[in-house]
Amino acid sequence: MELEWPLILFTFFVCLASGILLGQGLMTVLGKGKKMQLASLVSSLVALAIGGIAVFFHLQHWERIFNGFGHITSGITLEFIGCVVFFVVLVVYFLMMRRAEDGMAPKWCGVLAIIMGIAMPAVTGDSYLMQSLPTWNTFLLPLYYVVNAVFFGMLAIMVIAVVTKTDDVVERAGLIGAIAGVASLVLVLAYALYIGAQGAQYSDITYYFDPTLPDSHMIDVQGDAIGTLLAGANAPLFWIGAVIVGIIVPAALAYLAKQAAAKGTNQQVLPLAGAGLVCALVGGICWRMLLYMAAMHVFALY
Amino acid sequence: MPRYAIITDLNRCTGCLACTVACKAINGVPVGNFWIKTLRVGPHPIEGGSGTYPDVEMYFLPVQCQHCENPECVKVCPTEASHVAEDGTVQVDRAKCIGCRFCALACPYGVRYLNEESRVVEKCTLCEQRIQQGELPQCVSQCGARARFFGDLDEGVDNFVAPAHPDSPGCQYDEMTKTRVKLKDYVEPYTEADIHHLTNPGNDPKLMYLLREGRKWRE
Repeated sequence: MELEWPLILFTFFVCLASGILLGQGLMTVLGKGKKMQLASLVSSLVALAIGGIAVFFHLQHWERIFNGFGHITSGITLEFIGCVVFFVVLVVYFLMMRRAEDGMAPKWCGVLAIIMGIAMPAVTGDSYLMQSLPTWNTFLLPLYYVVNAVFFGMLAIMVIAVVTKTDDVVERAGLIGAIAGVASLVLVLAYALYIGAQGAQYSDITYYFDPTLPDSHMIDVQGDAIGTLLAGANAPLFWIGAVIVGIIVPAALAYLAKQAAAKGTNQQVLPLAGAGLVCALVGGICWRMLLYMAAMHVFALY
Repeated sequence: MPRYAIITDLNRCTGCLACTVACKAINGVPVGNFWIKTLRVGPHPIEGGSGTYPDVEMYFLPVQCQHCENPECVKVCPTEASHVAEDGTVQVDRAKCIGCRFCALACPYGVRYLNEESRVVEKCTLCEQRIQQGELPQCVSQCGARARFFGDLDEGVDNFVAPAHPDSPGCQYDEMTKTRVKLKDYVEPYTEADIHHLTNPGNDPKLMYLLREGRKWRE
């Protein structure tokens, strides 16, 4: 399937925004990260806004967007509502932070942020579950988005913590980030295996010809799509981009940043966490591209 | 509520593409888009044969919106632009469509197209404009092999109809266009086992294909 960049960027920035909010919420519940609250909220809002703007480029008639509330149970409507609720949570957190005498938002705001940080990527993933696309129609997709949000979020708040000189966050975030990296690795490998095993879900016509596309070859689901990740044409993007650069390296860097913070060598934290975040973001884009490259309709004849 | 559908007798279909062309002509389907595509399926070796010609079999398969009982395209549409109409057909309200193309993602058959000019998603309407006034869908009307029959599933597939020769040569236009023949009366005998649907991941396609014993249905 062709890459739909607005949708790729939307899911990417939704996970980033959700991860930052979730990370800040977690630190708030733990009583940490007071100095970085505003920076986290702004970072999360900016990521959400970029994702929202990106997805508008997918719509052919964005001026009719408010028709989007017409079918309340559709995935896009739920995503749209999710974005609005996400914004409300950011505002509530901000207001409660400003009202607090000690400048620290109450713990219930942290809980709210954690719930929103998990719910938003889950709802986003859920909207792509379609029977017509076997490689997307699995709980692994929303689960990936949630784990990916945690991974992005922990790396991002490490960077925000260093920039805002918040000392009490990096160790905890680094540990959770490394654990989220391991979870991402297991999940992405399992998902790639799942994709490769979906051959029986597709229509098997064997030989056919489409007279309106006389110079097109017959579609080979295995060779053109689902079999390309682990060992096919997309294997370099999968193994190097999504797995090594996107997960193993940033997970290791998150752990090293945690160790550096524990030893008090704080000057090493920013380059380690920053490089880790960049790698994770690149890997997140690679995996999203692969999800499109491996996707094919069950009746995939043209 | 009627449940309109089309059945195509694949033992009769010659792959002339008249349905494809008639549909484009009457509905103004843009270049590059197809509300019906006619595919050639095969040739495949006949089981137990030599593996080469003449021991091969094939058929033609017109593919269009299947006007499903349980349409996924309707479930994912955020604006209810894609909806099930009162006559049981799946339609797109062009004024409501935001062009998100999730319906095209959700359709298992790849029969939804974005109209690049109006920037809304379009597909087979089962010639809504014609069937509302008692006419047949244009693909049924123009079928070169009289392989396509239209009707209401609640009245039974045997009663699906196609255009027929009027009894009197030189009859008037109205008589000529309104003369019908029923599936059961016109085509070779068939059984329930000969009626097939496109692959069904859960959307329950309503359109049907007749392919009798001797040729293998592939899905």
